[in-house]
Amino acid sequence: MSTSKIGYDDAYDLQAKRLSVKKPEIRYDKQGDMTDDERVEKAMLHFVKDFGSTAATYLDACIHCGACAEACHYYKVSGDPKYTPIWKLEPFKQAYKREASPFALFYRALGLKKKVTVEQLEEWQHLLYDSCTVCGRCSLICPMGIDIAAMISLARHGMFKAGLVPHELHAVAERAEVDGSPLGVTPTVFEDRLEWMEDEHEVDINIDQEQADVLVVMSSIEIQKYPQSMAATAKILNAAGASWTFRTDGFEATNFGMLSGNAEWQRDMSMRVIDAAIKVGAKKLVLPECGHAYMALRWMGGNMYGKPLPFEVQHISEYMAELLNSGKINVNKVKQSVTYHDPCQVSRRGGATQASRDVLKHLGVELREMKPGGDYNWCCGGGGGVVTIHRADELRYKVFKLKMEQIEETGAEELLTSCANCRQTFDDGQNHFQWKYSMESLLEVVADNLVEDEQ
Amino acid sequence: MKDERTLGEVLLAKGVSRRGFMKYCSATASLLALPPAMVPRIASALESARRPSVIWLSFQECTGCTESLTRSSSPTLEGLIFDSISLDYHHTLQAASGDAAEAARHAAMEENRGEYLVLVDGSIPLGNPGYSTIAGISNVDMLKETVADAAAVISVGSCAAFGGIPGANPNPTGAVAVNELVKDMPVVNLPGCPPIPTVITAVLAQFLTFGQLPDLDHYGRPRAFFGQTIHDRCYRRPFYEQGRFAETFDDEGARLGWCLYKLGCRGPITYNACATVKWNQGTSFPIESGHPCLGCSEPGFWDEGGFYQPISTARIGGGTALGTAVAAGAAIGAAAAAMSRRRQAKTIKEG
Amino acid sequence: MELLDFARGPALQFGLYAFVIGTVWRLLGILLLAAKPDHSAPRKRGGILAALKVISSRSVTAREFRQDTLYASVLGYVLHIGLFVIVFLFVPHILFFKGLIGLEWPGLPNNVIYFVGVITAGVGVALLLRRMTHPVLKLISNFDDYFSWVVTMAPIITGLIIPIRFGIRYETLLAIHILSIAVLLTWLPFGKLAHAFLVFFSRGTTGMVLERRGAKT
Repeated sequence: MSTSKIGYDDAYDLQAKRLSVKKPEIRYDKQGDMTDDERVEKAMLHFVKDFGSTAATYLDACIHCGACAEACHYYKVSGDPKYTPIWKLEPFKQAYKREASPFALFYRALGLKKKVTVEQLEEWQHLLYDSCTVCGRCSLICPMGIDIAAMISLARHGMFKAGLVPHELHAVAERAEVDGSPLGVTPTVFEDRLEWMEDEHEVDINIDQEQADVLVVMSSIEIQKYPQSMAATAKILNAAGASWTFRTDGFEATNFGMLSGNAEWQRDMSMRVIDAAIKVGAKKLVLPECGHAYMALRWMGGNMYGKPLPFEVQHISEYMAELLNSGKINVNKVKQSVTYHDPCQVSRRGGATQASRDVLKHLGVELREMKPGGDYNWCCGGGGGVVTIHRADELRYKVFKLKMEQIEETGAEELLTSCANCRQTFDDGQNHFQWKYSMESLLEVVADNLVEDEQ
Repeated sequence: MKDERTLGEVLLAKGVSRRGFMKYCSATASLLALPPAMVPRIASALESARRPSVIWLSFQECTGCTESLTRSSSPTLEGLIFDSISLDYHHTLQAASGDAAEAARHAAMEENRGEYLVLVDGSIPLGNPGYSTIAGISNVDMLKETVADAAAVISVGSCAAFGGIPGANPNPTGAVAVNELVKDMPVVNLPGCPPIPTVITAVLAQFLTFGQLPDLDHYGRPRAFFGQTIHDRCYRRPFYEQGRFAETFDDEGARLGWCLYKLGCRGPITYNACATVKWNQGTSFPIESGHPCLGCSEPGFWDEGGFYQPISTARIGGGTALGTAVAAGAAIGAAAAAMSRRRQAKTIKEG
Repeated sequence: MELLDFARGPALQFGLYAFVIGTVWRLLGILLLAAKPDHSAPRKRGGILAALKVISSRSVTAREFRQDTLYASVLGYVLHIGLFVIVFLFVPHILFFKGLIGLEWPGLPNNVIYFVGVITAGVGVALLLRRMTHPVLKLISNFDDYFSWVVTMAPIITGLIIPIRFGIRYETLLAIHILSIAVLLTWLPFGKLAHAFLVFFSRGTTGMVLERRGAKT
């Protein structure tokens, strides 16, 4: 894993210079000094580890109907059959059949399913990382009900152990594991930036309280690029009169362990937040505008912890909806037409689709849904760690065009989302295409329109 | 004893009109699927044919075949043709018995060497020659001796043709069909339990007319009579296609004459002429009387499961075997899963 | 008759045993693998009702995907409904099932079945052509897909030939038809045709996982 240290510190920073890659399909990255055989062996071991009854049910059920291709933005924009979601799982499926399926013994003995080769794994690096945002549209189209997206995440585990992760994603994940943030936000940096926001926005920000009902965490993207989000969050929590705090020992919501496929790092990153929440006796953990953090902590947090979490986990949009619905905060009406981009992991995969709609209703905006919208929304193209992978840019811009088209069709004046990763993907796309739409944050719109005289 | 009269003379003597005779010839031609132009030829051949010598051997049988041929309620042309052959040996019908009867058989064989026909009803027990004997001669010996100089052999009925009821599982006497013993001579099978009498006489008529045996199917049956299934020619066939079935023997469907498929009718897999030639002077046939076809002209019809079991049902074992299959599947499946889990546990330990 | 006896007896028996053994084998081989508990706090009720919900709801393509999958969906529906009709509503087949399980239900006139059979066979051919020409399907198809196609189509074709006959004896055709079913039964649990029962488990699993989250299923 030594190579990953070289010059990728800014991989998650879209404003930094990007590695320019002309022919992305032939490039693959390797970490570590393993031989090819060792890589295959590692991949197999960690594939096998994930072949529980759920994965087996899915991997055994595919009927090769190809419907999933129609749900995938990568296939849609390229027409290249290799982007068929289930095809992205081919080596994983092949390993399953050979190693753990009910007929594994026969597949091995009769050589019906060949051993996965290192060439396959190298080739599939592009399919498992560069061209899958784990958005889960394919999981909804599958007539067999196979959760393909969940399987992609599992397949990445083996890829990571085999040292076959795109360098930038690997570097970002490693940095997050070592430094506690994918963008180099140390506790000191975090504290500095909070204080800066406190001054800039004249808002009281609670830092490192010993006890609090609500622990709020942030994503490094917000801390570094959209720091006003922190002020907005504080504003809302203050308005609600909540007992809350940020903690410098557990503030990072993103989980690049999960995205890159390192299960141990995923646990480490989740546990920092979970431990902090337990430490302050939080009843509630409020996650920032970050899609995959919702998946990592709301739906996988308890599994990392090994038992049900002793606190509630909410996405900021859910929390805002709760506060607005119960009248704890109020907002001024915004007379604008907006379209809302659902972050895949919060809405489609996370089940919190309604929360943002509730918030928008309180804001009184004219909501113009995209087509397809809501749970069937096209992904921005930056999820699943894809936005870090430089060589995937060309493809990412292609799928972003799909997104642009459907947004333009709505004719809405404003564009909102509730995910900083989507937001920076949009910012990058806007810059690349000189596009008229700027992505705005739902959180910030709520904070800007808070009715404050109630206090 | 040799009768020198021709068949025509005999029929005339019995008062058969020329018209009636020609009608019979046309009917025979049509049964044999011969063109109408052949009718005069049949007529003249039959008229001038010398009465053939026929030796009828009855082995393990129930005499139903003989009954079928002889017990018509009114005299028929078939019956008359049959009467007109020189039946030189038939131990059910002949007056002679014992040595005299056997002597008659030997005499007929001697006088008509190479020309006589042997008709056999009943199957032959090979399990023990003593199971069935006539005048102290075992069936198999008598058959072999009698067919040695015959022109042809006709197996009358399903027992002679396929082994029949005596050959039914578990076949205690080791009964076999005639054609399993007679290999070097043409054997015509006329199966049925009993066979249609018209079919027997038509085959005889053809032999007399053309001196040759009819075209046979792979079971040695004349194609002219056994070329189509009962189902193909059944007047209830439209009900089959419409999906109208009698469910029981006394329901509305049964009364309305609907298809008997559900009651186990073997019509679709039974090749015979019942639906066209019919029985009792063309009166009806079993299905017309409201009973499904038993498939009696097919080999092994007695061992095909219940007569009232529809043909599309499986002939397989019951629940215990299936339970065993479930248990076997469960055992293998559990073993496969256990094996995979062991590999996983190993991985986790090493990883 | 000998071939029919073989088909209707030992061959079919073998097929049924293979079917039962294979089905139980495959299901237990999957379901007895390690299962991880889900410790997340549920948003909605998961469990068996959620499973049943998705088992039924996933039978209909979501409106958002309908246009893109229209051709394949229509063919798929016709194939499956056609198979259902010819397998379960043809009177001789009903009698077959009655002989096996003792239950009986009303059937359809044979002519309707023949018509449906021809349509189903036609759709089968169309699906094969699609598999052989569509870039995605060409890429992801393997031996199982084509062999399963043959094994599925064989009983339809052999069944349709029975009333036409082509000069072949009824019992021979019936025997071939039953033999083709024995092959189908034998293969079903081992290849992709096992989706006939796996579909309940894969859809059910998704139902339980995603419905519990309150996520889109």
